[in-house]
Amino acid sequence: MSEVNTAVSHVHRVAQALGEPSSLLALREAAWRTFQELPQPYVEKTDLRKLTWETGTFSEQVGKVPAEVQTYIDRLQHSYALFVDGLPIDLRLTEEAKAAGVTYCTIHEAPEKAELLWKANFGTVVTGNENKWTALNQALFAGGVFLYAPKGTHIDAPFETIYVWTGGESGAYSRSLVVAAELADIQYAETVFAATTGAKVVNSHVLEIVALADSRVRVSTADAFHRGPTHFVTRRARVGKDAHVLWTVADTSDGLCVELVENELTGAGAKGLARVVGLGHGRAHVELTASMRHVGRHTESEIVMHGALRDKANTIFRSRTEIVKGAVGAGSEQHDRMIMIDGTARADAIPMLLIDENDVQRCGHAASVGKIDPTQVYYLMSRGIPKSIAVQMIIWGYLHDTVESLASDPMRDLVVERIERELSR
Amino acid sequence: MGKPDFRVQNLHVSVEGKEILKGLNLHIRGGEIHAIMGPNGTGKSTLASSLMGHPHYEVTAGEVVLDGEDVLAMSTDERARAGLFLAMQYPAEVPGVSNANFIRQALNARRGEGNELPVLQFHRKLQEKMKALNIDASFAERYLNEGFSGGEKKRNEILQMSMLEPRIAILDEIDSGLDIDALKIVANGVNQLRSDNIGFLIITHYQRLLNYIVPDHVHVMMQGRIVRSGDAKLAEELEAKGYDWLKKELGIEDETVEVEA
Repeated sequence: MSEVNTAVSHVHRVAQALGEPSSLLALREAAWRTFQELPQPYVEKTDLRKLTWETGTFSEQVGKVPAEVQTYIDRLQHSYALFVDGLPIDLRLTEEAKAAGVTYCTIHEAPEKAELLWKANFGTVVTGNENKWTALNQALFAGGVFLYAPKGTHIDAPFETIYVWTGGESGAYSRSLVVAAELADIQYAETVFAATTGAKVVNSHVLEIVALADSRVRVSTADAFHRGPTHFVTRRARVGKDAHVLWTVADTSDGLCVELVENELTGAGAKGLARVVGLGHGRAHVELTASMRHVGRHTESEIVMHGALRDKANTIFRSRTEIVKGAVGAGSEQHDRMIMIDGTARADAIPMLLIDENDVQRCGHAASVGKIDPTQVYYLMSRGIPKSIAVQMIIWGYLHDTVESLASDPMRDLVVERIERELSR
Repeated sequence: MGKPDFRVQNLHVSVEGKEILKGLNLHIRGGEIHAIMGPNGTGKSTLASSLMGHPHYEVTAGEVVLDGEDVLAMSTDERARAGLFLAMQYPAEVPGVSNANFIRQALNARRGEGNELPVLQFHRKLQEKMKALNIDASFAERYLNEGFSGGEKKRNEILQMSMLEPRIAILDEIDSGLDIDALKIVANGVNQLRSDNIGFLIITHYQRLLNYIVPDHVHVMMQGRIVRSGDAKLAEELEAKGYDWLKKELGIEDETVEVEA
């Protein structure tokens, strides 16, 4: 019993530190109870039995912005919000975005600043009771933004959330909510800088996106989670009628991660695209699922996953398409390809098609795991390019298109640097 | 550096334990064009691939020397940097790597560290060479050979050759699958490069190409070695009469040593 009380006081502490209204506290407490009640989850390729559900102790101490992060931020020309260990450090909105009437604040301020939008959307895309880690996030979330783009807003520059985890004792529970009103066209990005930490805690990150009718939301993410904690990441968009949500996910984690990126194509004619690049290295265990749930009629989706693996990395890329009964005329494509750079790595490419509707327009999938094609290496070498560079070029070639579709130059450069660091060893 | 000098002596090559080349000799100097002809399956492509150091081919005896350097001791990329070039019959496709980037990397590898060609100069040179080969400007940014037609691939090989300016260029069936217009363009590309600074080895089984690139020496390959050498007239004779008379003259019944892909 005392354990429960400590934990509840933890919930209170987070809420208080962030100055939230009491209504939110009730929501957090309920989620905490759910978290405790829910059984140990089962994840197909990741053994969670020996892993901790410790949350650590939340600290109100504002951490320092690491030099690497400062250099990154100094280059940003677009709207961004910076959080260090869940605490807000900086939030900037461009003049363009201000003029467009965009609401942009921390997720903790949102219940007061945008009450109705908040109530209508928070926790509706990623609910607090779908599993143990989303419940945990809802109980303890600290750090994240609320972004609302009014009807018809068209802003090309991204809104970027930068999460910095300095490796303290506390678990990390970021949570952001993006709402794009009808006909809005925006870009949202999340970039993670995490220090290596020995803390045995559980982290759970959530991103909810609501794309209303005829809107388009392009989302880019750059994750690099390290060993120590267990990282759960749940990113989901609800895609309305004729709306379009496109994900570009770049993951260079070497930690223990269970990640989901998903589109719920609820509206008729909704479209989704998920492009994923992953570079597994060290002793990474990354189970990443890209998922498209077709609910509306004539919905379309495409999943493109490219992984490259080094060292003793174990990466599982699952592409999942679900077409529920009634989603007539749906079309979907999956491409899942993984290259093993080192023979010591392990890759699983798992295509999944769950189809309950007879009237499907098309449903294609291709998955493969292999080594670098030796004829390509030979060809490049036959022109004088040394083997190690030839291999790098081939792998870059294969990751190139997805990296190019990231939201901004600094973000692309960051991902290129992260990948290059591991490839050039 | 003086004229290129390329010597192949008593070359024996095996594939998966089966001997394909059985003592082949060849001497090519700068300014010369040698053509190797012969029916399918006589070891012509094996010669090309093993000279370039393809890992599939095992040299069991013999010597290959370029400008006094032991080629067989070099890895494939070292051979290329030493000035050897192979225009391949089936070049690989490499998605995501642009043609221009690939050629620039190759050129700079050949020129050596500290001697890289400045980017602008490189692109000017590339554009010039592409124009000369009647290649569309969009070619530079397309991914290396991806989705290229047979003719485009062959022209790309010639483009790389003219950019890299090798000392010895081996062309492996560069004419296969080309229509007459493409053939002329490819031949023209070779003729433009012709000088004392480069020697050519052209492998073909049709005489057609040799109407446009006139060789100084023609060799006929059978059973994994050169069985007859002559000048350009030999190629014409083969075109007119086929290979049977030569086989009869040499007492060869089965000229093949391998099953070519």
